[in-house]
Amino acid sequence: MANHVKYLSSEWRDEAGRLLRENLSPEKMNNVTTSMSNIYQNCPDGKDRFLFIGFTDGALSDIQVGEGEPPKAEFRIAGDYETFAKISRAELGAQKALMTGKLKLKGNMVKALKLASLADRVNKIFATIDAQY
Amino acid sequence: MNAKDPYYIDFPARIKSIQKEMQAQKLDVYLGSRLRTLSWTLDAFCPWRSFVVIPAEGLPSAFTFVIDAARVADDSWLDEEHVLGFAPMGGQDQIEQIADFIADLSKGGKGRLGIESGMSNYLPEGWLTHYEYQQFSGALPGMELVNAHGIIDRLALIKDEGTINRFREASRIVDIGHKAVKAALQNGGWKGMTETEIAGLAAYAMRKAGSEWEWSFTGGNEIASGYRTGLAGGACTPATRRELREGDSLMVDIHAMFKLGLGDHSHNYFIGRATDRQRWHAKNFVDIVDLTLKTYRAGISPSKLAEQMMNFAEERGFADYMVPGFEHGIGMMGDEWRIGMNDGPFPYWTNPDHVYRENEVIICAMQYACPGEDIGFRYENPIVLRKNGCEIMSRFPLTVDEIV
Repeated sequence: MANHVKYLSSEWRDEAGRLLRENLSPEKMNNVTTSMSNIYQNCPDGKDRFLFIGFTDGALSDIQVGEGEPPKAEFRIAGDYETFAKISRAELGAQKALMTGKLKLKGNMVKALKLASLADRVNKIFATIDAQY
Repeated sequence: MNAKDPYYIDFPARIKSIQKEMQAQKLDVYLGSRLRTLSWTLDAFCPWRSFVVIPAEGLPSAFTFVIDAARVADDSWLDEEHVLGFAPMGGQDQIEQIADFIADLSKGGKGRLGIESGMSNYLPEGWLTHYEYQQFSGALPGMELVNAHGIIDRLALIKDEGTINRFREASRIVDIGHKAVKAALQNGGWKGMTETEIAGLAAYAMRKAGSEWEWSFTGGNEIASGYRTGLAGGACTPATRRELREGDSLMVDIHAMFKLGLGDHSHNYFIGRATDRQRWHAKNFVDIVDLTLKTYRAGISPSKLAEQMMNFAEERGFADYMVPGFEHGIGMMGDEWRIGMNDGPFPYWTNPDHVYRENEVIICAMQYACPGEDIGFRYENPIVLRKNGCEIMSRFPLTVDEIV
């Protein structure tokens, strides 16, 4: 595991991708095909960033980080950088962040409910990355 | 659903007919919130606060409480991409989710949005609330909110064959409920029986026969016995724990639902051998129901029919016991109050001069109440207005039965 990679940097993305592939088999991801864009508002440098992850038949098929508008995804979750950072540090649950309005979800809520446990699995992997926020 | 299915309704055609009206009224999007609108456009029962968003072209999308969205999608003709759930989560509450959806449809959130605003005697009508109006107005500053419920009211007025067949089937089921009640009352079965028990055994028989629920918001199956049948003007009698007694009159007003088509029929009894006076009341009631059913046809109006029937009651000397109304509106689940359009002298009440047209469905409804003698009867039955008469949907015999 890389030490102190910068959160949302290309190094962090590579580490996240490696860990997701290693730890989440297609079966563990229920062979799902879906995609999600996280929009990080008010990053420490004042910019907005995104994390895009796509799964095809349960396998991680795409992971991107960047600035500006993310690729089109089935779900779009927007919130403050600090909120996402807390989730990635396992200091805040993603569901609680949504239920308190700290995060805003755009997408089919019924499908999102089906995928909630999968999103938790992904977030738990992210939380294991020794990142610098 | 197969177009050859007797209960088939062409929902895509319904949506297109709404969109044609929207175009005529220069509406970019229609936001339906009434239960009648939801049933009529979605073919699914929506017990939770729900909305349907109809774009200028293409398929509508339904929005309901997330705990019920998958079930609504399963029941509806729409696929799960067009039935969305809302929840108290960031970006997913009904105002933000629907406003965002409408903004996307209306190209930048500009244009005219049809809404449903009004009032009703029927509590679950589902008009857009003042709060919802304010919130949608605030979330869609570029849109003009226009009251447009007349579009649905007009289009839903004349029933198609699939809808009528659903009503026929619901009425057939109601008749099964009545048979079960009559059988249970006979041979001393009524002794110790309560109104709630009668409501329940009717419900059980109807559910066994395929009814989805006893749909009426008036308490499901309405059962009244003794003095409760004679409450002045009393046309709403949720069942109580009152036990039947010898000498009681008994009203059994039961409801079944089949694919959002509604059965609603009331049958009446005397518990024990009736007195001559009771039989006089019963004959008055049966005769006026019979005459009313023979009088209903396309071309007549509620006021004209009421005038003729009340003249008959006056001639026979029982006008004092008649509630001077002979109908209430009916449509797919949620459409249960006024007749026709909102074009009468009192806003959102039946226009007494509404001229019935062929293939309108109404509930022929009348209440006979004699509070001084603790006697009352109710008649309700869905009827289809025809050119020269009406089709009576529930076929349970028109009598006041003595249970001896």
